[in-house]
Amino acid sequence: MTPALSLRDARLSLRGNAGPVDILRGVSLEVGTGESVGLVGPSGSGKSSLLMLMGGLERATGGEVRALGRDLTAMDEDALAAFRRDHMGVVFQSFHLIPTMTALENVATPLELAGHRDAFARAAAELDAVGLGARADHYPSQLSGGEQQRVALARAAAPRPRLLLADEPTGNLDGANGAAVLDLLFGLRDRHGATLVMVTHAPEVAARCDRVVTLRDGRVDGTMLRAAE
Amino acid sequence: MTAGTTAGRLAWRELRGGLRGGLRGFRIFLLCLVFGVAAIAAVGSVRAAIEAGLAREGARLLGGDAEAEFTYRYASPEERAWLDGLGPVSEVVDFRSLALADPEGRAERALTQVRGVDALYPLLGAVELDPPIPLPEALAGRDGLPGIVAERALLDRLGVGPGDVLRLGTQDFAVTAALLRYPDNSAAGFGLGPRSLVRTEALAASGLLAEGTLFDSHYRVDLPEGTDLAALEREAEGLWRDTGMRWRDARDGAGATDEVVDRLGAFLVLVGLSGLAVGGVGVSAAVGAYVAAKAPVIATLRTLGASRLTIFATYGLQVGALALLGIALGLLLGAGGPLLAAPWIERALPVPAAFGVFPGPLAEAALYGVLAAAVFTLWPLGRASDIGAAALFRDALAGGRRVPRLSVLLATLALVALLLAAASWLTESWRLTLSTAGGIAGALLLLALAALGTRALARRAGRLARGRPALRLALGAIGARGGEALPVVLSLGLGLSVLAAVGQVDGNLRRAIQGDLPAVAPAYFVVDIQPDQIEAFRERLARNPEVTRVEAAPMLRGLITRINGVDAGEATANHWVTQGDRGITYSDAPPPGTTLTAGEWWPEGYDGPPLVSFSAEEAGEIGLEVGDTLTVNVLGRDIEATVASLREVDFASAGIGFVLSMNPAALRGAPHSWIATLYAPEAAEARLLRDLATAFPNITAIRIRDAIAEATRVVEGVAGAIRVAALATLLTGFLVLIGAAAAGESARAWEAAILKTLGATRGRILWSFTLRAGLLGLAAGAVALLAGLLGAWAVSRFVMETDFAVVWPNAVGVVGGGVGATLVAGLLFAWRPLAARPAQVLRARE
Repeated sequence: MTPALSLRDARLSLRGNAGPVDILRGVSLEVGTGESVGLVGPSGSGKSSLLMLMGGLERATGGEVRALGRDLTAMDEDALAAFRRDHMGVVFQSFHLIPTMTALENVATPLELAGHRDAFARAAAELDAVGLGARADHYPSQLSGGEQQRVALARAAAPRPRLLLADEPTGNLDGANGAAVLDLLFGLRDRHGATLVMVTHAPEVAARCDRVVTLRDGRVDGTMLRAAE
Repeated sequence: MTAGTTAGRLAWRELRGGLRGGLRGFRIFLLCLVFGVAAIAAVGSVRAAIEAGLAREGARLLGGDAEAEFTYRYASPEERAWLDGLGPVSEVVDFRSLALADPEGRAERALTQVRGVDALYPLLGAVELDPPIPLPEALAGRDGLPGIVAERALLDRLGVGPGDVLRLGTQDFAVTAALLRYPDNSAAGFGLGPRSLVRTEALAASGLLAEGTLFDSHYRVDLPEGTDLAALEREAEGLWRDTGMRWRDARDGAGATDEVVDRLGAFLVLVGLSGLAVGGVGVSAAVGAYVAAKAPVIATLRTLGASRLTIFATYGLQVGALALLGIALGLLLGAGGPLLAAPWIERALPVPAAFGVFPGPLAEAALYGVLAAAVFTLWPLGRASDIGAAALFRDALAGGRRVPRLSVLLATLALVALLLAAASWLTESWRLTLSTAGGIAGALLLLALAALGTRALARRAGRLARGRPALRLALGAIGARGGEALPVVLSLGLGLSVLAAVGQVDGNLRRAIQGDLPAVAPAYFVVDIQPDQIEAFRERLARNPEVTRVEAAPMLRGLITRINGVDAGEATANHWVTQGDRGITYSDAPPPGTTLTAGEWWPEGYDGPPLVSFSAEEAGEIGLEVGDTLTVNVLGRDIEATVASLREVDFASAGIGFVLSMNPAALRGAPHSWIATLYAPEAAEARLLRDLATAFPNITAIRIRDAIAEATRVVEGVAGAIRVAALATLLTGFLVLIGAAAAGESARAWEAAILKTLGATRGRILWSFTLRAGLLGLAAGAVALLAGLLGAWAVSRFVMETDFAVVWPNAVGVVGGGVGATLVAGLLFAWRPLAARPAQVLRARE
C-alpha cells in the first residue's frame, strides 16, 4: 500500500547571514495512511522544517518528498497550493487566522477556494463540531487563544483532508485548553480517518500518537512505536 | 546623569542600529519631507529670482526711471512742464486699432495694439527689428509714407511684410521691418492684438487720436542719478492726485506683474504646504509604525526605569535628527533645482529673472519643514512615551489609549497655530492662509469620515461576497479596523479632490464662455465712434438686415476720487470700483430694460447739479446709498455728483454695462466717443467688419469671439497652474500611498502565505490584491470626485454665477486616477509576498 507520506534523503539548506545553514541533513521517513506520528526533538532540530517540507510549504533542497504518491519537489507553487487545497489541512502554533474575517469566514475560506457551493453551511457545521457555533460571527481578536486554535482546527478539518499537519498546536495554550484542542484534533483524525503528523515539545502529547519520531541536528535520531493499549 | 544625556545616548544607539538597517521604515518619511520642503524652497527661490529680475530690469520694463500715465488725454501744459523739469521726457501713446492691408486685392483686417512713439523712444533698452535696422530709420518710412514696424503675428495675419503698405485709420504706413523685441513690455502676455510701433506725429492724419478716443499717454522720464524715487512719488501724488495722473517708477517697473508674481508665489507656497500636510500623513504613519515596532524596546526601557520624558526625548531626538536630514536634503533640492533649470525657466517666463541662492525663501521652507515635522510626529511620539512596562506582557498598543495626553495635544495645537502664524506672516495674507488651512483641515476631516464610511460599507458588502473568496478577502481587508482605507483615502483624496474641483470649474467656465456666452453675446464691440458719426453709424446698421440688434452709448473714463468728501480708496477699503478709472456714460432717460432698485432717474432735460445712477450690486458692496456724493475726475476735471438712483447692471452678458451713468448736462463739453455692441450671426461677421471699417476707418471693432478666445486662454493658463499644483499634492499623496503599501508588505506576505497554505493559487491571491487596491482607489476617487463636485458646484454657483453640469471626462479621469495610483502602489508591493515561500513567512511569525 502507498504510504501517505514518504521522504527519502530529504535535505533543506537555508541561506543565513553567515552562509548556508543545513536544517535537514537527509531525512528518510514513511508515514502510513491513517497513522499518527509525533515529531519531537530539541529546539533547532528541524521538526517544524520537516513538517513544512511535508506540506509543500518549504521546498527541499535535496532528496525526495512524496505525499499521497505525488512528488512534491516536482510541483510548482500553484500546484502545491492546489494539492493542499484538495488533500491537506495545516494547524499552526500561532493559529494564523485571518484577522479581517469572522470565525465562520475563516473556516469557510478553504471550502470556497475548493469551489464548494455550500461552503458556509459546512463551515457552520464544523464550528459546531468544535463547540464554537455561537461564536461564528466573532473576529479572531474577540476570541481567546484556545478558541482561536479551535477555529484553526475547524478550518483545517473542514475540507476533510487526507493529511493533517499540526505544528505545536498546543504550544501557545494553557494545559486545559491544550488538552481540549488535542482531544478535538485526535477526534477529527479518528472520525475522518486522516493521517496526522504533529510537531510537539511535550512528551505526553507525542505519546498520544501511534509513533514518535525524534529528530536531532536535522536527522532522524530514533523512532518509537506506542505500546499497544 | 540627566534625563537629557541619557536620552541622547539611547537615541544615538538606536539610531545607529537603524542606520545599519538602511533606514528602511523611514524612506517615505524622508521622501515626504524632502519633497515638501523642496517644493516650497523651489517656489520661493523662483519667486525671489523673478523679483530680483524685475528689480534689476524695472526701469527698462517701465521704459524710464519714472512714468506718468493719463487715460484718453495727453498731459496738460502744467503737468508737462513739471515733468520736463525732472529730466528728458519721452512721450508714448497707446491704443487699439484695426490695421488694414490689401495684399493681392484682398482687404484683410486685424486688431493691433498701436504704440505711437517720439524720437527719444526707447529711453532705456533697445528695439530689435528684422531686418536689423535702427528704429528711427524704420519709422522714417519710405516713398513719402511714414514707417510702421509690427510683430510677426500681425504681419502674418494680414499677409504683408517689409515693403508692403498697411493702413491705420485713414493713414497709410510703409511696413519697414518686423518687430522682434521691445524693452517696455510689462504687460507680458495678455493683449487683444499684436503690437505695432509708429511715430506719434504720423498718426495726426489717421483720425485715430481725435478728442474723446480711447488712448493712454505715457510720459517716461530719465531722472538724474541718485533721485529719491519715494520723495518724487510723494511730490507727484501731492501735486496731481486728483487729475487722474498715475505715477509709477523703476521700483515697481513691472506694475501688476510684480503683484501677480507675489500672489501666485504666495498661492503656490500654500499649495506646497498642502503637499506637506498630505506628506505629514505619511510622516505620521511612518513614525507611528516605527514606534509600534519599537514597543518591546520601549517597554524594556521602562522596566529598567526610563521615565516617560526619557522615552519621549529618545525617540524625539531620533525623529528630529532624521527630520533635519530630510529638511536639509529638501533645501538642497529646492535651491539647486531652479539653479540647474534656470535656462529653461527663464525661457518659459514672460518676465526677467535673476537666479541665485536666496537665503530668505530657503529659511522659510526650512521653518515650514521643521514645524510640519513637529506637528505630525508629536502625536505618535506622545503615544510612544505612554507605552508602559506592562506592554511586555500584552499587545503594546492594542489596549493603550488612542489619543495622547493633554500636554501633547496642547503642544500640537500650539505648533499648528505657530505654523499658521508663520505662513500668514510670510505669505503676507492671513486671509488666504487661514482659508487654505481651513480648506485643508475640512477636506481632511471629510476624507477621514468618507474613509470610515468606506470601511463600514466594505464590511457590509463582505457578507454579500460569500462564495467569491478573492472579493471577500479584498472587502475584508478594506473593511478592517486599522486597514488601508484611511491612509489611501486621506493621501490620494486631497490631490484628487482639487483636480476634480479645478477640472469641473474649468470645464463649466469654458462651457459658459464658449457655449452659452456667444449665443447671447454680441458679435462686435466697437469703440472710438465719434459723436458726429453715431447717427450715420446707427442708420447704416439699421439698413443692414444681418444685424439683429445694436446698442450704443457714449463713453468717457473717470476716476472716483472721493465719496462723501472722503478719499475713495479709504472709504471703500480699495474696492475695485475705486481702483483705476471706470467707464462713465450719460443718458437723459433710463435705457430700455433698466431696473431701478432705489431712487429715481432725473427728469428729461435736467440741468441742475450733477446726478449719477450707480450700479446697485457695487453700491451695496461699498455701502453707497441714494443721496451720497461722489467726486469723479473726468479728463482732469472734478465733477461732484449726487447719487440719484441705484440700478441693476448685468455685466455677464458681454453687453454694455456701466457702473456710473450721469445726467448729460453734467458731462457737457467733455470730449468723448461712443461705443456700440452689434449683434449678428457668425457668418455675417466678416462682411459686417468690412462694411463698417470702410465707412468709418477710424473706429476699432473688437470681435467678441477673439476676446472670448483670449479670456479662455487666460482661464486655461490659471487652471493649468492650479492643476500642476494639485498634481504636486497628488504626487506627495502617491508617495504616502507607496509608504503605506511598503509598510503593509509584510502583512500581505503573511496573508499570501496563509492563503497558499489553504490552497489559493498565486493568480487568485494576486486577483484579490488587485481587487483590494482597485476598490480602494475607486472609493478614494469617488470620494474625491464627490468633494470636487461639491466644491466646483459651489464655486460655479456662488462665485462664477454660472450653471453647473458635471464634466464627465474629468470625473472619469479623477476616479481612474485614483484606481490607477492605488493599483500601481498596491501591486508594486505584491510581488515579493507572492513569491515568498509560505514556510519562510510563517516561521518568522511563530
